[in-house]
Amino acid sequence: MGRKKLVLILALIAVVGLALEPGETEFEHNGWFRYTNQSTAFKIAEPSVSRLSLERGYIRLSHQWAPPFFTKMTVDIFSSDKYPEGATVRLKEAYADLAVPFLRDFNITAGLQKHYFGLIYSWDYTHPEKELADEQGVCASADYGVTLNGFLPAGLGELQLGVYNGEGYKYAGKYVNTSPEFLGNLRITTIPGITLGASIFTNSADMSPYKNDRKGRVTEGGNIYFMNADTANISRLAYAPMFKLAFGPFSLLGEYLGYSYTRKFSYYQINRDTLGNIIDSTLVEKEKDYRMNGLDLVPVVTLPGRAVEILGRFSIWDRREQSGDSMPLNRDKSFIRYGAGFNYHFIRREKGKPGLEFQFVWTRTQPKNSALKPTDVFLAQVRFEWSALVPKPQM
Amino acid sequence: MKKLFTVATLISTMLFGAEIIVKGSDTMLNLTQRLAEAFSAVRPDVTVSITGGGSGVGINAIINREVDIANASRKIKSKEISSARSNGVNPVEIVIALDGLSVIVNSRNPVSQLTVEQIGAIYRGEITNWNQLGGPNKKIVLYGRQPNSGTFVFFREEVVKGEYSPAMRQMNGNAQIVEGVKADEGGIGYVGLGYIKGIEGIKPLAVARKAREDYISPADESKVRSGAYPLTRPLYQYTNGRPKGIVRDFILFELSPQGQKIVEEEGFVPVTQNYSERNNQILQ
Repeated sequence: MGRKKLVLILALIAVVGLALEPGETEFEHNGWFRYTNQSTAFKIAEPSVSRLSLERGYIRLSHQWAPPFFTKMTVDIFSSDKYPEGATVRLKEAYADLAVPFLRDFNITAGLQKHYFGLIYSWDYTHPEKELADEQGVCASADYGVTLNGFLPAGLGELQLGVYNGEGYKYAGKYVNTSPEFLGNLRITTIPGITLGASIFTNSADMSPYKNDRKGRVTEGGNIYFMNADTANISRLAYAPMFKLAFGPFSLLGEYLGYSYTRKFSYYQINRDTLGNIIDSTLVEKEKDYRMNGLDLVPVVTLPGRAVEILGRFSIWDRREQSGDSMPLNRDKSFIRYGAGFNYHFIRREKGKPGLEFQFVWTRTQPKNSALKPTDVFLAQVRFEWSALVPKPQM
Repeated sequence: MKKLFTVATLISTMLFGAEIIVKGSDTMLNLTQRLAEAFSAVRPDVTVSITGGGSGVGINAIINREVDIANASRKIKSKEISSARSNGVNPVEIVIALDGLSVIVNSRNPVSQLTVEQIGAIYRGEITNWNQLGGPNKKIVLYGRQPNSGTFVFFREEVVKGEYSPAMRQMNGNAQIVEGVKADEGGIGYVGLGYIKGIEGIKPLAVARKAREDYISPADESKVRSGAYPLTRPLYQYTNGRPKGIVRDFILFELSPQGQKIVEEEGFVPVTQNYSERNNQILQ
């Protein structure tokens, strides 16, 4: 039995095994209604993108079976132009938590859960756009796996160790390979207001989405020739030192990202004779190295009364791709980004209470290829969140 | 009306003086209100605004810098401290009183003492009739708090040691539990010591840690003070960093002989020597 199958079966046993005692159930709804205007070099009247969408529509059910047992499932119903209905559903969380005996404040979590890497798992969308690692496809914000996660004594920080599928929450079934991802994450706050942390994950190979892909199939003379054979990113390694400074109304969140992998791909080259007839096909295997580095900074000032937050963003992303023996910068896909915005909280989100806020940001992304014009994005969003305990029948 | 009151409070504060905002435990609500009233008599320049909502709500409010003091009838959790510290908030703990969490039944109920294990079994739904405990043939009706309550958490961890029975009626506050049990001969509830003093129609049970140990009533102050009463717990206040200025003045008043007298009058137990020493180190 593959390791991944074992992990998933254990997760399933955990979920089924927890259905033993009745407890409390919480229902939560979280939605983001967004308008996006994207244009080149500030031409707002001639946008390349101008759309209204339900960007997120989380519906979440949590159940506390008993003090040490907890389960949660979240589905995301959101606007999508990939489907004729204009919307789709995605499974975002489905896990069971088991408190670790004799290790206070630590849980073992099994199932589809947070991916404890860098800033991605604690990104609370104070800035409404995605966190850098999420945005650039370094990793997904959630994945299937088993983690040991918890808080250090005296509020010193948090620690997570995990084994994941490595492909992210969007991939299941045939797209998931047998190579697990190993992850470690630590955050320490020795002085209140100064948090330092670092994460690392390694994965020998991620998904193989093109395996047995028949798109490139050629049939001739009773033979089938596949032009595409296999593609995978191997030797994946990512690390992310982070910091958070918070003093009074000011906070600054920062992350440095390093990510490297080798893309291994193979294909069948169709061999033809001088007349153009297919003779046979030859398997060709190639590899190409990729290396990326990034920096993301998000300063936030909370105005008195806590209704208004003024925020900024500064990001750098460098993408290098192997060319012969060198790793030149891909200037088209590398960029500097900056921007600013604000959040207005009609009702502040608070534990167990609804929240309603309006978010507005502008960001400008300038590719490092100076021949390319910058892209400006204006984003306005109403975000709401509420939850309620599901009443239990009186007995 | 609430908004009008808030605006009036703001205007009065701007015109006449400073304000201390306190939020959290419902068990501590009446006590803190009495302390605030007495403090205002000696410091009329300071307004103390107090709201309940539960210990969890109070702790969350101090993490988010919304209040000066969080009232909590349970200790702050590691996760909460971590969240506070990464937010630049340093929760500092003061114990202002002790509480003997009281298990109450209707005064007509002949049962007068139980062990912690028996009470736990009742709240887990394993014992469902008073005749299983030597009482009348009457169904036990459970009254308890809501999950945002520190008392709910304390009782679950120290007594229930499992999951509450789904049959438990989750009440908004201590006063509602008292009213419920008072009107229900089969009722059982748990409330802060301050909510049973002088109330007719209910009685607190004497509680033993184990069957062969002494049964102790929460009304015996010396046993609560010494920790011999099995459900003794400290009542906490949390501030962001060591209390300073008027917040420190208010806490010093709470811990003063005058403040501790109010603690007793409200049915709670004054802080013991060891907690006093800890408090003094913080307030120096």
